[in-house]
Amino acid sequence: MRRLLLALALAVATAGSALTQGGPSAGASGAASAADAPPILVARQLAESEQLQVGQIVRMSPHGSGADARSYRIQGIFEPTPDPAKLGTVPRRVRMHLPDLLTATPEGRPAFVESVTVGLRNPADAGAFARDLGSRMPGLSVRPTGDPEAGGPFVVLQRFHLAIAIVTIIAATVFLLALTIMLVEERRATVGVLRLIGLPTGRIIVQLLIEGVLIAGLGALFGLLLAAASERFINLFFQWKYDTVLVFVHVTRDVAARCVAIAVPLGVVSTVTASWLMLRRNGLRLARR
Amino acid sequence: MTTATQSAGGPGTTTSAAPAVIEATHITRVFPMASGQVTAVADISLTIAPGDHLAIRGPSGCGKSTLLHMLGCVDTASSGTLLFNGRDVATLSDRDRSLLRLTQIGFVFQRFFLLPMLTAWENIELPQAESGVGKAERRERTRELLDYVGLGKRAGHRPSELSGGEMQRVAIARALANRPRLLLADEPTGELDRTTGDQIAALLDRVNADGTAMVLVTHDPSLADRCQRVLTMRDGRVESETTR
Ligand SMILES: Nc1ncnc2c1ncn2[C@@H]1O[C@H](COP(=O)(O)OP(=O)(O)OP(=O)(O)O)[C@@H](O)[C@H]1O
Ligand SMILES: [Mg+2]
Repeated sequence: MRRLLLALALAVATAGSALTQGGPSAGASGAASAADAPPILVARQLAESEQLQVGQIVRMSPHGSGADARSYRIQGIFEPTPDPAKLGTVPRRVRMHLPDLLTATPEGRPAFVESVTVGLRNPADAGAFARDLGSRMPGLSVRPTGDPEAGGPFVVLQRFHLAIAIVTIIAATVFLLALTIMLVEERRATVGVLRLIGLPTGRIIVQLLIEGVLIAGLGALFGLLLAAASERFINLFFQWKYDTVLVFVHVTRDVAARCVAIAVPLGVVSTVTASWLMLRRNGLRLARR
Repeated sequence: MTTATQSAGGPGTTTSAAPAVIEATHITRVFPMASGQVTAVADISLTIAPGDHLAIRGPSGCGKSTLLHMLGCVDTASSGTLLFNGRDVATLSDRDRSLLRLTQIGFVFQRFFLLPMLTAWENIELPQAESGVGKAERRERTRELLDYVGLGKRAGHRPSELSGGEMQRVAIARALANRPRLLLADEPTGELDRTTGDQIAALLDRVNADGTAMVLVTHDPSLADRCQRVLTMRDGRVESETTR
């Protein structure tokens, strides 16, 4: 097998392994062992909650009781890949070399490993590697991290968002239509006078349509600007709240285009509907109010 | 579009061979209401020649405005025929009827119906712009009309900055903008005091004297007395007609 295993996440789902901080005294007493203590990386949130620092010696045990503990040197802090399914919890994760993991566990074997993340030199190989490994080790589920799992949290979230979007758009359409009818009604006296002077219906509809497109376009632009401006604040707030680097809101070019593609025709349709409803009536009755 | 160019508010000539502006025969207007039909105008026949000066009088609700709206192609008759410049109005499309109003008919209303967001100048310029008059010609005509109605110095004022009499002057200038063959006025002095009303009446006399056929609806006997023909209506019918 290729030398691919660079780092791995040890899910501490066993009886609950013990992590004990060596502290300065532990470091001093175990000066000899500190030099050859295997290096580990500690998740940022875990380091913050346990007040761990780079260079410190910690003792970790595969058992909840703390038996068979070994010393490790913290070589660095890493930012764990955010997992939306585990928001709000401190990821109790360290990264170590695979041989050290095998040494650390009883009889050279971890009691239970939930998942192993494998980093590839060439990420493009992920699909082939997953198929290869899957066929060699039956019972192991291997998949590239880029592929969302069917029914996984992201897919569920996406469907949820779509449902919210549809409901929002339907509600907004009703609101928009009512609003345009009001706006157009507001101009009924003007429209009535224009009809009396002798402007054809088509000419007035075109005029109202231009205004409708303009207003809808400006509205869409305003919405996008608002979304872009609030994107930063929403992300900052939730990243702070859940202590993660996960991006919660991201207005992509695609999202922006879709917004405009929905808003402008909607504005046009509602303006034409509202104008048509009004222009069916006689100019005099409109002008008189 | 017809090519008749009857001038108003300026020197104009009226050829005797020109067809009648309006020829209405047995026109009736019925409004279908939930409580039954309302006959606002019943079987009226009427001819308006170029340069005519006609007043329509009668008690409230007798159908004066309804008749005027039909003459002005704002409303269509339920039965009977109405020829404008010899063409049957009923056969025109909504668009052609609109263009007829725009170019051949001027309307003056009791409540002025100016566009509040436009200045006096812009209100007068609008019908010209809509009928495709060029910019330079438009400017000249608007200036001429503002002077004609005595508002040369109020061109940039909006209706809210004008008195009732001044608003009505702007409305008259707007009605004359495209040199219509026919000017229709529904209670043009109804919202004005005596003196202002007399000034507006004098202005309308001058418009007619300058060659535009005019039909006036009024309750005011002194306004009606200025006209050459007076039609008195009752219950949707013509009760009497006097010519001086
Ligand atoms: N759009 C309409 N729908 C139904 N009935 C109408 C309508 N317009 C006018 N009428 C009716 O037709 C009759 C004539 O109305 P019209 O407005 O022509 O009277 P008028 O002589 O102008 O009255 P006034 O001097 O008060 O202005 C009235 O009975 C009126 O109620
Ligand atoms: Mg009336």
